[in-house]
Amino acid sequence: MLSEAASGEALLRRAETRRRWSLAMPALIVISLFSILPLAVMVVYSFLTPGTYGNVEWQFSLDGWFSVIFERDLFDDTLGLADAHLSILGRSALLALATTALTMVFGLPTAWFIATRPVASRAYWMFLITVPFWTNLLVRTIAIQEVIRADGTINRLLLGLGVIDAPIQMMFTNGAVLLGMTYVYLPLMVLPVYAAIEKFDFRLAEAAYDLHASRFYCLRRVIFPLIRPGVIAGSILVFIPALGAYVTPRLMGGGRAMMWGNLIDLQFGQGRNWPLGAALSVSLTLLVMIALVLSVRRFAGGGRADG
Amino acid sequence: MAERKFSVRHVPGAAPIAIVTFIALYAPIVILIANAFNAGPVIGRWEGFSLRWFASAMQNEAFRNAALNSLIVAMLAALFSTLLAVMAALAITRGRRLKGEGGIFVVLNQPLLVPEIVLAIALMIVLAQIKQATGYHGLAYMIVAHSTFCIPFAFMPIRARLEGMDLTLETAAMDLYAGRFYTFRRVTLPLLAPGILAGFMLAFVVSLDNVVVSSFVKSPGQETLPTYLMGELRRNLSSEIYAISALLLFASVTVVAASWLITRRKP
Amino acid sequence: MLEIKSLSKTFGAGVAAYHALRSVDVTVEDGEFFTLLGPSGCGKTTLLRLIAGFEQPTGGQLVLDGQDIAAIPPSRRPVNTVFQSYALFPHMTVAQNVAFGLEARGTPARDVAARVEEVLQLVQMDHLRDRKSAALSGGQQQRVALARALAPRPRILLLDEPLSALDLKLRKEMQAELKRLQREMGLTFIFVTHDQDEALTMSDRIAVMEGGRLQQVAAPRDLYDHPANRFVAGFIGETNLLPGEAGNGQLRLAGLAPAPIAEAGAESGAVTVMIRPEHVVVGQEAANAVHTSGRVDELIFFGTDTHVKLSLPGGGSLTARTQNSLHSGTHLTEGQTVPLSLPYEALRILPDEAAHAV
Repeated sequence: MLSEAASGEALLRRAETRRRWSLAMPALIVISLFSILPLAVMVVYSFLTPGTYGNVEWQFSLDGWFSVIFERDLFDDTLGLADAHLSILGRSALLALATTALTMVFGLPTAWFIATRPVASRAYWMFLITVPFWTNLLVRTIAIQEVIRADGTINRLLLGLGVIDAPIQMMFTNGAVLLGMTYVYLPLMVLPVYAAIEKFDFRLAEAAYDLHASRFYCLRRVIFPLIRPGVIAGSILVFIPALGAYVTPRLMGGGRAMMWGNLIDLQFGQGRNWPLGAALSVSLTLLVMIALVLSVRRFAGGGRADG
Repeated sequence: MAERKFSVRHVPGAAPIAIVTFIALYAPIVILIANAFNAGPVIGRWEGFSLRWFASAMQNEAFRNAALNSLIVAMLAALFSTLLAVMAALAITRGRRLKGEGGIFVVLNQPLLVPEIVLAIALMIVLAQIKQATGYHGLAYMIVAHSTFCIPFAFMPIRARLEGMDLTLETAAMDLYAGRFYTFRRVTLPLLAPGILAGFMLAFVVSLDNVVVSSFVKSPGQETLPTYLMGELRRNLSSEIYAISALLLFASVTVVAASWLITRRKP
Repeated sequence: MLEIKSLSKTFGAGVAAYHALRSVDVTVEDGEFFTLLGPSGCGKTTLLRLIAGFEQPTGGQLVLDGQDIAAIPPSRRPVNTVFQSYALFPHMTVAQNVAFGLEARGTPARDVAARVEEVLQLVQMDHLRDRKSAALSGGQQQRVALARALAPRPRILLLDEPLSALDLKLRKEMQAELKRLQREMGLTFIFVTHDQDEALTMSDRIAVMEGGRLQQVAAPRDLYDHPANRFVAGFIGETNLLPGEAGNGQLRLAGLAPAPIAEAGAESGAVTVMIRPEHVVVGQEAANAVHTSGRVDELIFFGTDTHVKLSLPGGGSLTARTQNSLHSGTHLTEGQTVPLSLPYEALRILPDEAAHAV
């Protein structure tokens, strides 16, 4: 009797588990086929030999990975660092970091400002942040491009005022890409930071002031540690797409201020070196994932340290 | 408001920076929209209000085709991804912790973890093989690709809604003689509806806005609005481009505003 | 008639196994207001969920009117539950909530409307039938939850701490109302609570639970006057426990004259003796009582009565409760030593706990 009822329950539970797995299955299959499998193909391609007209030949080779970092001199066959690539990769990392820093500079005060509005109006301020977030990235890039391009708003204004005689060339520079990415990714910083500040219990700040903390001391010792998870989340959300950005650097940086994503595109297009492109893709993906894992781990660790 | 009173919420400098940020965020958009409504032929030289660039876009067949493609892809991709996301979210949130739940979670969010350009080119490689094998070059590739990366977006609001939902409501329904399907139809689904709608709309917007995956997955001659814009941008900048950009902007804002209003309404 | 036969429920297995219910045997009669009382974690909610069908027993039987219902899923069991959180469907109106169970069973629409009306009148909520359930006050939600569970005419109504979310005044009102409804309908109620006052005032019989076991099943008065063990004595009402020795029909409290008590029986040995505070006579030497004296340590005023904390000459302590009537004879002051009487009939011998220790 006893074991019968128990095994009946076990059967029920097993059926339930099977039912739930089969519910999740379609989504898992679609993602496996059209996101994970292509990525696996990319990994395989990075170990093959480039075809003459693009594509690959099914012959194992480490050249793709090799040429991420090194290049063979055309004339004397000596090895040298692939300066062209490395400078692009380095620029990508620096621009992504700078974008994260700039979005913090503007995003943190903005999030603070919104979170300290009266409850009723907060939603409207947040709406103003979410609208750009959900509008087309391409359209927003076109909008910021219009402001700084040679015939754009700023140059017309300065020319009209007689401040300058010839348009300032702002497009196709690192600065243009940085401006564009900061503009485009700013909402990604504000959203999580706002969520963190909104949850912050301001009585804690009152307690800090009551214990003779200065404004800065309170900010540093009480407020920042408690909203740090939000700031870290925002940094991940900005850094990761910025590192792999494609559209914004392409429009704002052109061929002169290329980033990692554009270099990958180049290898699959004019460069006709698919294995190199694949190796660059895989390394970018790995870097993004490592950044993610590290920050998640730090985020969890930080949370524990703060109690 | 008492201006000079001490407040723990006041941080010097936050408000001015925030205002600057809001202006910087919206000024370019306002300039772009203004350019779209400019009567004159030269960008930036205001000659009065006009809808002529919208009219000229409407007469442009390439634009109309791209717009139609965008709508079809976004509609179907949002539909499929929402359906899959609802099922997956139900699997994760209803009942005891599922063994392997963390794994399901990672897979569902995987498209978000891969740089878009990498996913786009990887899909291009794989789908090119299928295109060659089948000879079919239609929109289905784009729909499948968009459905895939829309799943995590549709999943987010649906899961949030389900997790906020009291499990005892379903227990109560069972107690009142409702079978599993009746409970789902009369209790779970109506309560979940706002989440599903929000998920659908976000997926729709994400698909509508996508440019990178679309440009690599599309077959020759096939365009969506963003890929069409990208192509036109390479040729020359015209007021018509701004008109089309403004249209895309309005479409996204409408959908987002609608979803915002829906999710704000508490059950 | 619901017969619960050696019902047990274990969560998990092996070392991690948690025995929520250990072989419970009890029969609930038709038309009875039956209360499961105990501290949190005692197994009372598990027992209720087993009866409702939300959990499967790991052993034993649940027999309703001669039929074993353990295998029937909750959606077909003729019992309905009033949930602690009410679990009203927030997207439905009051009337739609109440109609839910009837519609789920496929009752014809005309009958549904009539029954909904009838039940809503019963709980005096008919004027709010089109209100969304989220827009109701706590007391109103409570009534709707009750109406919804009553609508399908269950054989047994299960109530899972339904009053715990209400404030004191509303709770008292609802207690009276629930009791009235139950009596009028002649329906079997199984009521779960951790509040002993609630249990004592409402129930026909109370099952006191602890550690997944039934400690005692009895009418409120019997439970109070004749607790089966130390746990029940301590859980129901306040009590004094004193060490003593029993044997040959005599009970001897440490250092005091023996009391002739039939219960003391023939067996001899150490026992625990219970006396309720209100039975201790303070300030006089009553007849048929054990006499001693005590020093007043503390007086706590409770309105209708005063609690007197006393220390006994032998070193023990005792609490007495004296009525604050208009003409209270004695005026006690702290520090004073007063005569005490422990009437023979108020002394109860509790079985040796060592045998029951977990």
